[in-house]
Amino acid sequence: MSVLTKIARRNIWRSKKRSLIIMIAVSIGLWAGIFMIAFYNGMIEQRINSAITSELSHIQLHHAMFRKEYEIKYELPEGKKMLEMISNDPDIKASAGRIIIKGMIASASGSNGITINGVMPKEEHLLTKLPDKIIEGKYFDNHQTNEILISKKISKKLKINLNKKAIVTFQDKEGNLASIAFRVCGIYKTINGPYDDANVFVKINAIDSLAGIPNSLNEIAILLQSNSTLDNNQKKLQQNFPNIEIKNWKEIAPELGLTVSVGNQMAYILMGIILLALAFGIINTMMMSVLERTWEIGMLLALGMNKFKIFVMIVLETIFLILIGCPLGLLLALTTIVVTNHRGIDFSKYTEVYSSFGYKSVIYPSLTMGQFGIIMLLVVFTALFSAIFPAIRALKINPAESLKK
Amino acid sequence: MKETVIDAHNLSKIYDEKTIPVYALNNVHLHIQRGEFTAIKGPSGSGKTTLLNMIGGLDNPSGGFVEINDTNITALKGNRLIDFRLNNIGFVFQSYNLIPVLTAKENIEFIMLLQNRPKEEREKRVAELLKQIGMEDKVDKRPVELSGGQQQRVAVARALAPKPQFILADEPTANLDSIAAENLLDVMLKLNKEENITFVFSTHDQRVINRARRVITLEDGKIVADTAPTKIEHLLYEK
Ligand SMILES: Nc1ncnc2c1ncn2[C@@H]1O[C@H](COP(=O)(O)OP(=O)(O)OP(=O)(O)O)[C@@H](O)[C@H]1O
Ligand SMILES: [Mg+2]
Repeated sequence: MSVLTKIARRNIWRSKKRSLIIMIAVSIGLWAGIFMIAFYNGMIEQRINSAITSELSHIQLHHAMFRKEYEIKYELPEGKKMLEMISNDPDIKASAGRIIIKGMIASASGSNGITINGVMPKEEHLLTKLPDKIIEGKYFDNHQTNEILISKKISKKLKINLNKKAIVTFQDKEGNLASIAFRVCGIYKTINGPYDDANVFVKINAIDSLAGIPNSLNEIAILLQSNSTLDNNQKKLQQNFPNIEIKNWKEIAPELGLTVSVGNQMAYILMGIILLALAFGIINTMMMSVLERTWEIGMLLALGMNKFKIFVMIVLETIFLILIGCPLGLLLALTTIVVTNHRGIDFSKYTEVYSSFGYKSVIYPSLTMGQFGIIMLLVVFTALFSAIFPAIRALKINPAESLKK
Repeated sequence: MKETVIDAHNLSKIYDEKTIPVYALNNVHLHIQRGEFTAIKGPSGSGKTTLLNMIGGLDNPSGGFVEINDTNITALKGNRLIDFRLNNIGFVFQSYNLIPVLTAKENIEFIMLLQNRPKEEREKRVAELLKQIGMEDKVDKRPVELSGGQQQRVAVARALAPKPQFILADEPTANLDSIAAENLLDVMLKLNKEENITFVFSTHDQRVINRARRVITLEDGKIVADTAPTKIEHLLYEK
């Protein structure tokens, strides 16, 4: 066997130019493919982190019917007591209660369907860092009641500027229409465009009585110290509050989980396309190399090198050809990932386009060991796949014909 | 005692059977004894290569069969035929005989490696043969660094190394100048004598023919003469 390895290894360097081209193609392909997967990871992680810390939190508590109907009457009457209990748990980083009402916001220029979030200013600050999202004006003032935070998008659309009035209309618990005038104290902007289109914030005590559920809550949101304790805490809460619907972020926003799996699939499909393109290049190169050596292979067959050995020789040659490009490609990819993971890639120039999908503008590419393993498997598979066709071609050579020339 | 190594019965090879049939070989009988040094001559297209290919199991006859030491090789197929060639027949071709990426030494060793012969035996045999062909100083040279004559000598050494039943050489001197051709013939004759290895080779070259002990003449796929050269010719050309 060792003589086959020797011949295969030396054959690679017979056509230096061709081997170099394949080597460079393999390195660049691996580099691009692996980095792309890492980039997708970073994008997904960013998306999930920002969704959890600024919108969803880790766990949400509701009346069992609330998320189906979105009606005020599905309240958590003991909500404030529950919130107090929850906030004492050391696993929990922040928690807040909300009243959530579907309604309308109107100005002289028009109206828009929205979700009115009645929030506890202090708790909400800790939970979703709402004040950080304000780009004009200020967060809620302790002494003022009828203040509202609207998004930049709504502000533009309804032409409501800072300190101007907006009318919010909704149905109370009994089904009666209620309208309140609010003064715009601040204008916010998040990275999630669709979210901005549909949400306004007011103080919870500005609407609870009007909505007919004074001192009550529709929703409790909880941010954990770490995502790793998610399942445990969800179970614990369910034991403490057996009649309450308790959902984690994956259940609340299944599309986020989908983002992860679709993103992963996309990355692997793209990697697959790159590897397939490489495979065809390599098959082509090796086919040429086999055809050019028809005489030589015919001679080896004549001398008594059996078909199995001829097959192995060509397979080894193809695999070596691919493997010499691998270390460079891996090195480039891993270096790029380490560097960009450390520094982040800033997309702020394109942030407008980006934010409408809910992505933040700095991405930190990363790669898991599992993914690295899958990539290595794919590469090995590609090598074997590309090796088979030239090797089969070599077996078709007939010694008597090929030695004639 | 005479021992038949090659036994060809009623060999025929017909090309283009369906359109205009070409009889490359037409009912050839041939027996070669151990230790022969036999030349096959004949005009271009007379069937020399075809005959050697049949004997060497590189091509299938249209009719007849070939026995090597009582094995009917015409009935062998695929890897069994290849393995038979590996263990019984040595080949020397007209040119480009050597594996380009292996050195002279590695080329000579190659067949023995395929046969899984032990290392000591291989080393000993390679050293011995390098000396016989007078190329001890070229052990580590690749084929491109050798002259045509040196390449052919290495090819002969490679064919001889595993001590096959016989060696087939299709125009081994055709690409060599006369001095190199004489040199190669010297080496072949010496090894034929010292190791009693059977040689069958085809050639156009009269000086080469004159050094053979038996000359078979082919014309249009038929054996038209099978003789030893005259004494006088031997005296003229033998050194
Ligand atoms: N593959 C083939 N298809 C058709 N005809 C062939 C084929 N191979 C050989 N022939 C014919 O068979 C005949 C014998 O060919 P062969 O190669 O054996 O001649 P040769 O004596 O070796 O000639 P040369 O001295 O030129 O090498 C020729 O007429 C040739 O045209
Ligand atoms: Mg010929």
